[in-house]
Amino acid sequence: MTARVRLVLVAAAALTLTSLALPLWGVRMDAPQYPDEPLVLRIDRHGISGDVHEVQTLQHYIGVRFPEQMPELTWLPVPVLALAALLLAGAAAGGGSGARVLRVATAALFVLFLIASAAIVQKRLYDVGHHRDPRAPIRSVKAFTPPLVGPAKVGNFTVWSFPHAGGVALLAAAMLAGAGARRRTA
Amino acid sequence: MKTRTILVVLLTMAVTAAGVQLIGCGGVGASSARSWAAEKVYVAPGEHDKYYGFLSGGQSGSVFVVGIPSGRLIREIPIFEPRAAVGYAVHENDPRRKELMATGAVWGDTHHPAPSETNGVYDGRYLWINDLANGRVGRVRLDTFEADKIVKIPNLQGAHGIAVVSPDTKYIFVNGEFEQPTDGLTTNPAPYTSVVAFLDPESMQVKFQVRVNGNIDIADSSKDGRYAFSTVYNLEQAKSPGSMFQYDRDAVAAIDIPAAEKAVAEGKARLQNGVPVLDPETVPGLLTLIPVPKNPHGINATPDGKYVVASGKLSPTVTIIDAKTLKIVAEPEVGLGPLHTTFDNRGNAFTSLFLDSQVVKWNIARAVEGSSDYIVDRINVHYNIGHLQAVGGETMDPKGDFLLALNKLSKDQYLPVGPDMPEAQELIDISGEKMRMLSSFPTPPEPHDAVFMPAETLKGKVKQTYDVAPDAIAEGQESVVRTGPNAVKVNMTLIRSAYTPEQFEVREGDEVTLTITNVEQIRDMTHGLALPDHNMNLSLPPGFTKTITFTAGKPGVYWYYCTNFCSALHLEMRGRMVVQPRHSTVEITDWHAAQNVKGQTVSGVPSTGAQR
Repeated sequence: MTARVRLVLVAAAALTLTSLALPLWGVRMDAPQYPDEPLVLRIDRHGISGDVHEVQTLQHYIGVRFPEQMPELTWLPVPVLALAALLLAGAAAGGGSGARVLRVATAALFVLFLIASAAIVQKRLYDVGHHRDPRAPIRSVKAFTPPLVGPAKVGNFTVWSFPHAGGVALLAAAMLAGAGARRRTA
Repeated sequence: MKTRTILVVLLTMAVTAAGVQLIGCGGVGASSARSWAAEKVYVAPGEHDKYYGFLSGGQSGSVFVVGIPSGRLIREIPIFEPRAAVGYAVHENDPRRKELMATGAVWGDTHHPAPSETNGVYDGRYLWINDLANGRVGRVRLDTFEADKIVKIPNLQGAHGIAVVSPDTKYIFVNGEFEQPTDGLTTNPAPYTSVVAFLDPESMQVKFQVRVNGNIDIADSSKDGRYAFSTVYNLEQAKSPGSMFQYDRDAVAAIDIPAAEKAVAEGKARLQNGVPVLDPETVPGLLTLIPVPKNPHGINATPDGKYVVASGKLSPTVTIIDAKTLKIVAEPEVGLGPLHTTFDNRGNAFTSLFLDSQVVKWNIARAVEGSSDYIVDRINVHYNIGHLQAVGGETMDPKGDFLLALNKLSKDQYLPVGPDMPEAQELIDISGEKMRMLSSFPTPPEPHDAVFMPAETLKGKVKQTYDVAPDAIAEGQESVVRTGPNAVKVNMTLIRSAYTPEQFEVREGDEVTLTITNVEQIRDMTHGLALPDHNMNLSLPPGFTKTITFTAGKPGVYWYYCTNFCSALHLEMRGRMVVQPRHSTVEITDWHAAQNVKGQTVSGVPSTGAQR
C-alpha cells in the first residue's frame, strides 16, 4: 500500500469525524415576504437550529410540525465513529489481501450508510408534508414531499432541501473511501 | 419683385417659428425638461432614496421623514402629540402622555430639526427638535426613529431657534422668543427678558442660560463652537407690535460659549428655578450684539466657518458677519423678504425670499468683495417660501446637489381639498450654475425647516427589531394575577396570530396593568392591540414590550384585536377581556371558555357548515 492511499484513508476518516461537528442537512425557504433573507434550518446531531422560531410560527397555518424526536440523530455517532475506525484500520492494515477486503468492505458500508441516511431524510421530509394537522386553517396547500435535493413549492414558499457541510463531508469521505479501496497494493 | 420679397419674409418667419418650436421654447424642449427632472427624482420601486429628509411637523408636533429626491413620505415620528396609529401617548395613563401633560401639553409646535454632529457633520445618533409653544425640546433616537426624551426648559417661553454647538455637539442651545418677567412674576412689576438655554446633549439638562433682551429668534453656532449666534428682534422690548419698530437696527447676538462656561464656573450665575442664569452685564465679553437691519430672521454659518449670514426679512439684504471677529463685512441686497440662507459646496449661498416667492442664488466671495455681480440666479417658488435647505448646507460638508424650498402657501399647486390647503415643498436641482425646478410634494401642516442626512450615515445603525427589554414577557411566562382587591396584573405575549392569554377576567373598576411583549423576531411583523371602549390602541413592533395601566369599564365582553394587519389570520387575531360586575361571585371566564370550545349556536339564528 502506498503512503498516498494511507493518506486518502486517513483524510476520509478525518472528514467522517468532522461531520459530527457540522450541520448535516439544510433546508432553505424562500418567499416574497422574506426579501434577501431566506429562512434557513440546519440539522446537526443535536437537532434543528437556524430560523426555528420563525418557521415554527409559520407552521400552524398549514398544520406542519417539526418531528418531535429524531432518534437517528442520537444514534448517528455510532455508525460514524465505526466507519472512521474502519477507515483508520484500513489505513493501518498494510498491503495484504485481508486489508484490501477490509477497505472494500468499509467503502461498501459507507455507501450503505449514506443510502440509509438519505432514505431516513426523505422519510422525514415526506412526513412533514403529509402528517399534518387536519384542523389547520389553510387547507389549500396539498400534501407535499420536498425532494432530497432540490426545490419544492409549499404555499408561498419555495423550499430547498440540501446536504449541508457535514453531509458534504460524509459524501466526500465516502468517495475517498472508494478511492482508497480501488488501489491495488503496491 | 415686391411679391417675391414678401414671400421670402414669410418663408423666413415660418422657418424661424418651426425652429423655435423644435429647439427650445416649444413642446420638445418642455417635454425634455420634464423628462430630465423626472429622471432626477425618480426612485424605482424597491430602490432607496439617496437622503433622509427630516422635516419638522410644525403644529403636528412631529417630524416627517421624507426620502430625497423622491419626496416620498416614509414615516412620521410623533413627539409632542399623541398618534394612535403608532400607539404613541394615546391612553391617559400612557407614561409618555403623562410626561407630555406634566411638561405642558399633548401637542407641540416643532420648527427646527437639529441632528447631532461629530467633526462638523451629522453622525446619525440623535435629532433634537423644539416645541415652540410649550418651551420644550424633544430628542429622537435615529436607531429607532422614535422620541426618547422630552424636557421642559425653565425660565423660557417660546422655544424657537435651536441648534447644536458645532463641531461635536457640546450643547444644544435653544432661544426663548417670548420674553418673561425676570423674577417669574413673584414681584410686580419686574422687567421682562429672554434667555438662551444651553442643554447637555446626553442628559438634556439645562447647564446654564444667558439673558438677552428682545425676542430671540433663529439660532446657529459657529463651526468652531466658540459662538452661539441668534437673531434678535424687538430690541425695543415692546409688548405690542406697533411699538416694535422704533430703533434703527436690531441685532445678531453672539454668545461667547467658553466665556459663559468660565463665568458659570466662577459662580457668576444666579440660580433661577434650579438653572444658573448669566447676566451679560456682569460678565464682560459674554454677549456681543451685532447691529443688523430691523427684524432679522434666519442666521446661518457658512460651511467653511468663515461667516454667518443674517437674513434681513423686512430689509431686502443679508448681513454677512465675520464669524471670528464678529465684524460686518458686507450687506448685499438680495430681494424682498429674505428669511433663511443655505449653502452649496462651491461658495454659493441660497436665500429664500418670502415676498418675491423666490430662491436667490448669490456668490459669497463676490458679495464680500463688493463686486456688483454677486447674484447668480433666481428661481420662482410656489408660494411664500419660508425655510430652504440644501443637502448638507448646515454642515461642513454641503453636497451641492439638491435644495428643498419649504413654502408656506400652496394655492393652486395641488388638487383642491377644501379651504385648509396643504403645505408645498419644492425640490430644486442646484448642481449647475442655474437652478432647475424638479418636483413638488405636499405635506400636512406644517414643515418649517428640514435637514438631510445621507443614507450611508444611518446605514447599519437603524434597528429592524427591538432588543428584548428587561421587563419583557417571554413565551410561556404569560399570567393573569390578582394583585389586590381592585388590581389585576396581566402578562401577555403575542405572535402570529394569537394573544396569550386569549382571555382574562377582571371586575368593573379594577386597575388592570397590562404588560405585553411582541415575541416576533422577524422585521416588520408589528401587531396592535386595540381594546374597545377603553381608549386603547397599542402598536407593538417585533420585540417591543409595553406596559399600560387602565381601569376596567362596564361589565361586558371586550374583544381586543390586532390593528396592524399582520398575517393570513390577522382578522382572527383577537382575545377577550371579560369584565364582571363588581360584586359577582361567579368565575365566568371558564364558563365562557367551555361553552365556546366547539362553538355555540343560538336558537333562532341559523348557521351553516359542519364540524370537520
